Amino acid sequence: MGFKLDYLLSILPRLIGAAAVNIRLAVIIMLLALALGTALTIVRSLKIVYVNACIAVVISFVRGTPLLIQIFIAYYVLPAVGLDLSPEVAGVSAIAFNSMVFVSESMRGGLATIDAGQIEASTALGLPPHAIWLKVVLPQLFRRIVPVLINEATIVVKGTALLSVITVVDVLRTAQQIASSSYRPFETMIGSALVFLVINLVISLSGRVAESRFAAARV
Amino acid sequence: MHFDPAVLVDYWPLLLQGAWLTLQVSVAALVMGYVAGIAVALIALVPGWLPGLVTGFYVETLRNIPFIIILFVVYYGLPFWRIRLPATLVGTTALALFASAYYAEIVRAAILALPRGQFESARAIGMSPANAMWHVVAPQILRALVPPSTNMTLTMMKESAVLSSITVPELTYQSLVVQGNTFAPFEVFAAVASIYWLIAAVIAEASRRLERSVGAVQADGDSRNRIADRYLSLVARRT
Repeated sequence: MGFKLDYLLSILPRLIGAAAVNIRLAVIIMLLALALGTALTIVRSLKIVYVNACIAVVISFVRGTPLLIQIFIAYYVLPAVGLDLSPEVAGVSAIAFNSMVFVSESMRGGLATIDAGQIEASTALGLPPHAIWLKVVLPQLFRRIVPVLINEATIVVKGTALLSVITVVDVLRTAQQIASSSYRPFETMIGSALVFLVINLVISLSGRVAESRFAAARV
Repeated sequence: MHFDPAVLVDYWPLLLQGAWLTLQVSVAALVMGYVAGIAVALIALVPGWLPGLVTGFYVETLRNIPFIIILFVVYYGLPFWRIRLPATLVGTTALALFASAYYAEIVRAAILALPRGQFESARAIGMSPANAMWHVVAPQILRALVPPSTNMTLTMMKESAVLSSITVPELTYQSLVVQGNTFAPFEVFAAVASIYWLIAAVIAEASRRLERSVGAVQADGDSRNRIADRYLSLVARRT
C-alpha cells in the first residue's frame, strides 16, 4: 500500500471536472433559497396566526431532522405522491427547502435590527407596502445578512456532497467510481476533500472581500 | 396513496435499535469531540505564531470539507496505518473529529470573550497557567459555552445520519432497510423524522437543565459576594 501522491494528482482533473456539477447545483440552490427565504420572511411578517403556526412547525421539522433524511424524503416519498423527480431535481429541492428555512431565520434576526422609525417614516410618506419592502427594508436586510449568506453558501456546497447518496454523479460519486476500478479509495477521497476545501475557502475569502465592500457602502 | 402506519408494526424494534445507536454514537462523539476541542482551543491560545497556524489549519480544514467526505477519509485512511476498527467505532471517531473543530472554536471564542485581566491577575498572584485556567477562567465561561455547544451537538447528531453510508446500523441505515422491505417510504420516513425530532428535543431539554445547573454555580458566586459584603460591612462597623 502506501500513499501515492502522483496517483492523487492524476485523478484531480476528473474530480475538478465533477466539481462543476456541485458548483452548478449549489448556485441553483442558493438562488432558490434566497428567493424562497425572502418570500417566507415576508409571509411571516404579515403575522397571520394560523399561517405562522404552520410555518413554525415546518421550520421546527427542517431544523430537527437530518438533511440526509430530507433528501431521502424528496427522493423516495415525493414519487409516491405522484411527483416523479429526477435525482438531481429531488436533491436540489430538498437542500433548497432546508436552506430556505435557515435564510429566513437569519433574515428574521436581521429584521429586528432595522430601525422601526424608517418604516414609520415610509408609511408617513405614503409608500405602498411593496415599495417599503423593496426600496427600504430588503436592500438593508440583504447587506446585513451577507456574512450569514456566505456561511450558508459553504454549508450548501457541503450539502451537495450528500446528493451522491441518491446517485447524482458529483465529486464524491466520481471519486467512488474511480476508487472502485483503481482500488485506491484513500487517495481519491483525499482528492475530493481537497476539491471541496478549495471551493469553500474561495467562497469564504470572496465573502470577506464582499463584506468589507458592503461595510464601506453602508457608511 | 394512503398513509398506513400498520406497515411498520414489525419494524418498530429495528427503528428503536437504530435510534438508540444514534443516541449512543452522538453522546460518545460529544465527549470525545469536546475533549479534543478543548485541547485544540488551549493550544490555539498559546503565544507564538506556530500554535495558531496549526490549530487554524486543523479547524478550517475540518469545517470546509463535507462530513461525508471526512467520514470516508477516516474510513479508508485508518487501514493505511494498519488500524482496523468496526464501522461504528470508525463513524464515531469521524463524528468526534468533525465536531471537535467546531467545539474548539466555541471554547476559544468564550475564553477570548473573558477580559484578559482575569487570567493575568490569577497569574500575578502566583497561580500556574493550568490553575488559572481551571479555577478562574473555566468557571466563568461555563455558562456561555452551553447554548452554542448545544447547537453544535444538535448539528452533530443530525450529521450522524451520514454514518449510514459506511453501514453503521443507526437510525437512517435502519430506515433504509425498512424502506427496502416495506416499500412504504411515506410511513418509514415520517416515523424516522419524528424519532430524530424527538432525539433533538431530548438533547435540547438536557441542555436547558445543564444551563440551569450551571446557573446555580453562578448563584454560588453571588453568595460569595454576600460573604464579601459581610466583611466589608464588618469593616464599616468598626470605623
